[in-house]
Amino acid sequence: MARVALFAPCYLALARPADAAAARAVLERLGDAVETVTGLCCGQPAFNAGARREARRVAAAAIRAVREFDAVVVPSGSCAAMAAHEWRTLFPQSARAADRAAAVREFTAYVASHPNLERVSFRLRGVVAYHDSCHARRELRLTEGVLGLLGRVDGLEVRRMRYEAECCGFGGAFCVKLPEVAAAMAAAKASDAAATGAHVIVSTDLSCLLHIEAAARGLGLQLEGWTVAELLARSLA
Amino acid sequence: MSFRERSAAEIGAAQPEAILAPILRKLVEDSAAALAAMPPDAREAATQARAAAVANLEGLHAQLREALERRGVRYHRAATAAEAVGIVQHLLRRARRVAKSKSMVAEEIGLTRALRQRGIDVLETDIGEYVVDLEGRGPSHITAPALHLNRAHIRELLARAGHDVPDDGPQRLSRIVRDTVARFFEDCDAAITGANAVIASSGRIVIVENEGNVALGVSHPKLHIVVTGLEKVVADEAAALAVLQVLAPSATAQPLTAFTHVVGDPLPGQERHVVFVDNGRSTIAAEARYRDLLRCIRCGACMNACPVYRVAGGLSYGSVYMGPVGAVLSPLLWRDGRYADLPFASSLCGRCTEVCPVGIPLHRMLLELRADAAESGRTPTAERFAWRAWAAAFGGGRGRMAVAAGRWLWRAMRPLRRPRARDPRVLPPLDPIHSPARLAPGGPAGEPPPAPPLLRPPEPLIDAFCARAAALGAEVTETYAPQPGDRLVEAAAAVAATGSLLLTGEAADRRAILGAARVVVLVDAARIVPYPADLAPHLGTGDALILTGASRTADIEKQIVRGIHGSDRLTIVLRGTG
Repeated sequence: MARVALFAPCYLALARPADAAAARAVLERLGDAVETVTGLCCGQPAFNAGARREARRVAAAAIRAVREFDAVVVPSGSCAAMAAHEWRTLFPQSARAADRAAAVREFTAYVASHPNLERVSFRLRGVVAYHDSCHARRELRLTEGVLGLLGRVDGLEVRRMRYEAECCGFGGAFCVKLPEVAAAMAAAKASDAAATGAHVIVSTDLSCLLHIEAAARGLGLQLEGWTVAELLARSLA
Repeated sequence: MSFRERSAAEIGAAQPEAILAPILRKLVEDSAAALAAMPPDAREAATQARAAAVANLEGLHAQLREALERRGVRYHRAATAAEAVGIVQHLLRRARRVAKSKSMVAEEIGLTRALRQRGIDVLETDIGEYVVDLEGRGPSHITAPALHLNRAHIRELLARAGHDVPDDGPQRLSRIVRDTVARFFEDCDAAITGANAVIASSGRIVIVENEGNVALGVSHPKLHIVVTGLEKVVADEAAALAVLQVLAPSATAQPLTAFTHVVGDPLPGQERHVVFVDNGRSTIAAEARYRDLLRCIRCGACMNACPVYRVAGGLSYGSVYMGPVGAVLSPLLWRDGRYADLPFASSLCGRCTEVCPVGIPLHRMLLELRADAAESGRTPTAERFAWRAWAAAFGGGRGRMAVAAGRWLWRAMRPLRRPRARDPRVLPPLDPIHSPARLAPGGPAGEPPPAPPLLRPPEPLIDAFCARAAALGAEVTETYAPQPGDRLVEAAAAVAATGSLLLTGEAADRRAILGAARVVVLVDAARIVPYPADLAPHLGTGDALILTGASRTADIEKQIVRGIHGSDRLTIVLRGTG
C-alpha cells in the first residue's frame, strides 16, 4: 500500500477545503494510505512575483513536510507544476529538493496511472465543459490524461471549448495587479464555456474555476466550477 | 503611465478585443496549419540557425563586413540609438525626401522623428505604417502596425489628411495609400528599409514584404540605406532559408511573403549602406539567462497567441516592442526602469513559448525579469511586506493559522469580490450550487475545437506546386499567349510547399517586375523543389527574388487586397510536365 501525501494547496484550503476531502476520498477508494498535508504552500505566489527569497523559505517548509512519502499528490495543476519543476530552480544544489520534486504528481495524473484504477467504477449522469488549465496543459501536458480519466465516468458527457488553449486570466497575483485585463480574459473564457451549453466547468485547477465563476456571475451566466477531484468523488459508485 | 493604467484606459475606451479576438484567433489556427505545410524539422532548423548566429555574433560580423564591402556595400555599426540616427543623418545630408519602409529597429531608435526634426520629408511607405503615422500613436503590432484600427477609423484618418475617400473598402483605402507612395517614389532622394537576415558568408541582405514598397526602396536609383539590428546576421544561405521557412507562416500564416528579396550588389550608380544597431544587444548577448532572446526573428507569433495582448491591445505596452517579446525585450533594451512593469503584464500561461518558432523560452524570461526586479528593490513597499508576512506564515509553521485567518477574510469580503456586472439587467439568482442537477446542459454543444492539422502524405511535387500557386491567386497554364505589357521571365527554381518562384540575375529586376501589367514566369517542372530550404543551391551569387503570389496587403482588418505596387496578375507557364 502506497504511502501518499495529499498536499492541499494553500488556496484550496482557503477557498474550498471540501475539495481536499474529495480528493482524499478518491485516493482512499483506490486503496492508498493517505495523509493530508495542509497549512503549507508550494511557494508559487512569491516565485511568480519574483520574490525568490520568500518563495524559498515557503517551499523549504513544504519540502520538509513531505519528506517521508512515496508520492506527493497535489490536486492542482499549477501547484504541481511549481513543485515538480521549480523546486529544483529554487534549490539547484539540493538533492532532497530534486528527490521530492520527482515524487510530485498532479492528482488526475496520479489517479489515471494508479494500478487499482480498474477496480473502481465512476458513475455520474450529466454534461460538463472541460477547462484546460495552462499549467496542466503546457507545463505538465496532462490534457489527454485528464480527458481519458473523465471518459471513465459512466454517463458523463464532456464538451470541449472552442478556444481551449487560451488562458482564463487568473495567473495568481496577475489578476490582482491587472484586474481589468484579467477580467476581460475571464469574460472571454466564461463565454466560451457557456457556448458549450454546459452549466458545469470541470478543471484540474480550482484557481481558474473561481476566476471564471466570478466572470460568469458578472455576465449573468449560469456556470459553476467543479474540480476533477470533486467530480470523481461525487461519481464514486 | 504604467501598463495597468494604459490597459485599463484601452479596455475602457476602445475595447481592443472586439477587433483583435476574431483576427488573432483565426491567425493562430492558420499559422499552425501553415507551419505544418513546412518540413517537420522547420522549427528546429530555424532555432539552430538563429542560435548559431547568436553564439558567434562578433565572428559573423567580421566575416559579414568583408563580404559586404566586397560587393561595394558600406558596413556601419552603431553602439547606441543616437549613434545610429547620427550615421543615417550623415548619409542623408544631401537628401530632402526619403521613402521609408517598415523597420522595427527604426522605430526603436526613433529614426523617422529624428529625421523630420532635421527638416527631411520622410514618408512611411508601408500601408499600415502610413496609417499609423497619421494616427500618431505608434504601431500596435510588430508585423501588422495598424491592427488596432478598423476601416471606418482608417477612412477618417485618410480623409483628415486630405485624401478623397469615397468609401471605406480595404481595397479603396489600400490603393489611396499605394498611389501616394508610388508618386513619392518617383522623385525621392533616398530609401530606407529594414532587413530580416543578413548573410555573413555572401554579404546578401534578405528582406521580406508583401506590398512592393521594399522592392521600390531596394532599387532606388541613388541611395538605399538598410537599418537593422546587430543580431540579424546569419551564417549562410541555408540559415537564411531556415529562418524564412518559419517567418511568414508564424507571422501572417502565409507560406512566404509575396516578395522575398535576396539583395546582392548595388545597382549601377546606386549607393548602398547597412547600419547595424547594437543599442544594448551586445549586453544581452553576454547574459546567459537572456541571450536566447536575440534569436527572435520578429514574427509576432507570441503576441498573436497572447491572451493579454488580445484583450489589452498592443498600445497598452507603451513600447515599440509589444506582447510577450516586448515585455521581455523592452526592459532589457531600456534599462532605465521605464518598462520595469512589462514583465508583470503576463499570466505566465506559457503560450508564447509554445508558439515561438525559434524556441525562445519567453515566459521563463519573464519570471527571471521579475526576480531581477525584486532583487534590485523595485517591488513596491506594501507588496514587499506582504510577501515577507506570507513567508513568515507559511515558512514558519503558522500556515494553518494563516489559512484560518484567510478563510475568515475570504468570507467577510465575499460581497466585495463580486465583479461589477457588465450587464445592467438584474442578474438571475443562481441555483443552489454544487447540486448534480446543474449537470443538465443548457443547450446543444457549441463548436468544438478544430482537429489538429493532419500530416499529409507527400504529394507529387508538380500537383502540390500548382495547387499552392493557384491558392495564392496565380494563374497556372501550360501554354503562353503573349499580351502587351507582359514581363516574361524564367524561374531558376520553384517551391512546391509554398507555390513560390525563384528569379535570379536579370530576371530579378524589381523595377521591371513592378512596372509590368502582368508577370509571366516560365517554370521547368524538373526545377520544382519540395521546400524553401531546398532553394539553397539555386540562389546563385548575386541578386535574387522569390515571388510567392502577386503583390498584396492585409494591413486593413487583415483583408487581402492584391496588386499594390506591381500587378495583381501573375501567370505561371509550366513546362516539361509531359
